[in-house]
Amino acid sequence: MEMLSVQNLSKRYEKFELKNVSFALEKGYIMGFIGRNGAGKTTTLKTMLNLVHADSGKAVVFGKEFSDNELAIKQQIGFMFGGANFYPKKKLKTVTSVVRRFYNEWDDAAYERYLKRFDLDEDKKVDELSQGMKVKYDLTLALSHNAKLLILDEPTSGLDPVSRDDLLELFQELIEDGERSILFSTQITSDLEKCADFITYIKDGKIVASTNKDDFLGSYKIVKGTVEQLTEETKHRLIGYKKNAFGFAGLIKTENLPSGGCLDVFAADIESIMIYFEKEQKD
Amino acid sequence: MKNLLIKEFKLALNPGTYFYLACSAMLLIPSYPYFVAFIYTFIGFITVFILNRENKDILFTASLPIRKRDTVKARISTIAIIELMQIATAVPFAVIRGLINPEGNAGGIDANPALFGFVFVMYALFNTIYFPMFYKTAYKVAWPLIISCSAVTVYIFAVEIAVQSVPVLKTYLDTLDAGYAVTQLLVLIAGIAVFVLSAVFAFKKAAKRFEKVDL
Repeated sequence: MEMLSVQNLSKRYEKFELKNVSFALEKGYIMGFIGRNGAGKTTTLKTMLNLVHADSGKAVVFGKEFSDNELAIKQQIGFMFGGANFYPKKKLKTVTSVVRRFYNEWDDAAYERYLKRFDLDEDKKVDELSQGMKVKYDLTLALSHNAKLLILDEPTSGLDPVSRDDLLELFQELIEDGERSILFSTQITSDLEKCADFITYIKDGKIVASTNKDDFLGSYKIVKGTVEQLTEETKHRLIGYKKNAFGFAGLIKTENLPSGGCLDVFAADIESIMIYFEKEQKD
Repeated sequence: MKNLLIKEFKLALNPGTYFYLACSAMLLIPSYPYFVAFIYTFIGFITVFILNRENKDILFTASLPIRKRDTVKARISTIAIIELMQIATAVPFAVIRGLINPEGNAGGIDANPALFGFVFVMYALFNTIYFPMFYKTAYKVAWPLIISCSAVTVYIFAVEIAVQSVPVLKTYLDTLDAGYAVTQLLVLIAGIAVFVLSAVFAFKKAAKRFEKVDL
């Protein structure tokens, strides 16, 4: 069952445009949403949630169009914006006492359980939490109203490697029962290697790929060769390449690999794919 | 709506806002421009608006399962409640002042029902200008405050000058003589009507503008 389906979302700004963004997320999976700063990740998430008005396109959540069923859908989703520091001088228990009122399915027992699990002290002020603890508090609020879909904008940004790993493990644990899905944006590619089932890659407001992680990785290869092998035809096939003292290294679509096996071919990781795509070093 | 109002009072309002209610006691000063007792509350509002922008109140509220226009209704209602509290706390001081010092106020309009009517209109003026201007962007605080507070200042001077310089207004409105109470009560009722209508107008205009804002 599709938890989320984004269909041809477009939004034009003076200096940036979101162009026909489409992707879908099934129930029980984690999707990583990657792209460099300014690629349109946050704009996509905000447009999906009607916080930014789309020029065209729509988001369908739990089978219903978001804009027509906003209140009902918001009861069942949890979202978190990276860097947003709400009411930093308020105690957690004050914020919770307000938030809980808005949700029909608020579960006090679950809230207490997650507080304990994440070692959160309700008497602390929001400002007194580390970045990782803030994310955990946001998750606690989302999970306590039984959110089925978690939309998280850069939840791992600013976390140390241990906290990040801890959080990614938690993501996996949260979807274990097959009832929840998580869409999270990130620019840290190792996050995706660790826990994403699906990857959606956005570049300059356009979706480059949206597929499962294995297919994504399988559809690109790193090739290396000598300067002589970097012919015009090879350049044409490459998505991007870099010259070095020994020759060149570049990214190529698996289907565009030249026959003959003259180039050294390696498996591509997400970071390499992103770097070559973004650099597109063609002369 | 009730939940949003609770959110406003628990999270959005700065406790300092209530401090300015004590300024109502300025009505006990024998001779003073009594409008001043009611304008300190604007300092409280300024703090609320700026703090909430820094606290990302708009984005926080938009993430809750509520209609966008209801956030506007809750905020305008909250400010209107504070304005009403400021007026309500001033009433006993106005009564006490009349009892202990029946002499008129040489510094401006007397603390009578007409003054309260004019204060209602003053708050109405602020609400009508500030909220539709602010919700055009939902983050630019300064210009809406400058324009609305300037309009309030001009209004106060205009009312005081008119009442002091037009004999009929001076006779009927600048007095504690109970014989003119009916006229003064009519001014009060008119002020309340303007206050209510302006709140509705401010909400409709602000909500319409806020619906179009990309957060």
